[in-house]
Amino acid sequence: MSRSIKKGPYVDSKVMKKVLKQKETGSNEPVKTWSRSCTIVPEFVSHTFMIHNGKIFQKLFVTDDMVGHKLGEFAPTRTFRAHGGVKKKETPHG
Amino acid sequence: MPRIAGIDIPADKRIVIALTYVYGIGKALSSEILKEVNIDESVRAKDLHEDQLSMLGAYIEKNFSIEGQLRRQEMQNVARMKSIACYRGIRHKLGLPVRGQRTKTNARTRKGRKKTVAGKKGVKELG
Repeated sequence: MSRSIKKGPYVDSKVMKKVLKQKETGSNEPVKTWSRSCTIVPEFVSHTFMIHNGKIFQKLFVTDDMVGHKLGEFAPTRTFRAHGGVKKKETPHG
Repeated sequence: MPRIAGIDIPADKRIVIALTYVYGIGKALSSEILKEVNIDESVRAKDLHEDQLSMLGAYIEKNFSIEGQLRRQEMQNVARMKSIACYRGIRHKLGLPVRGQRTKTNARTRKGRKKTVAGKKGVKELG
């Protein structure tokens, strides 16, 4: 079920506070955060974030297209390292 | 054969059903449209008046995106998600299910035909 419209988008208050502070001071340091469920709002555009993926922080520069998505959508939590060596036999080059 | 909303040519079926031949109109939307323009659902498409047809077409084109326009919108949405590399965009790129379905089994529509892997559990070793 999707979130009630009455409540408005979920924006982590601490992330918001940091972004607004950056706007005042004009600094452009990445905002480090664990808040993957925080919605990207227009205020975040052209700020940089470091989003935790469970292991490391992934850098994300926010553009207008990303508004409305969640921060976590841009920091994948799983790594896929190709399936076994069957393909090697089929294409023997190098 | 009557033409509705540009290119589409429904058959001599009831108008509710005939409208669903248009890409972007299903049964629910079809009956909603007919209610809005005051046409009985069970009239055959061929028995409709010229002016009724043009009214229907005008109403649909004014209020809904259908056919090519709708297809273009869908493609643009996917392309947007791919370009910003969000989770859904990544799944579209990889050709895997986008909405959280399981991929341990099934998911064949997105993944295409089975690629048998020798030596995997349940597959007999080929000499």
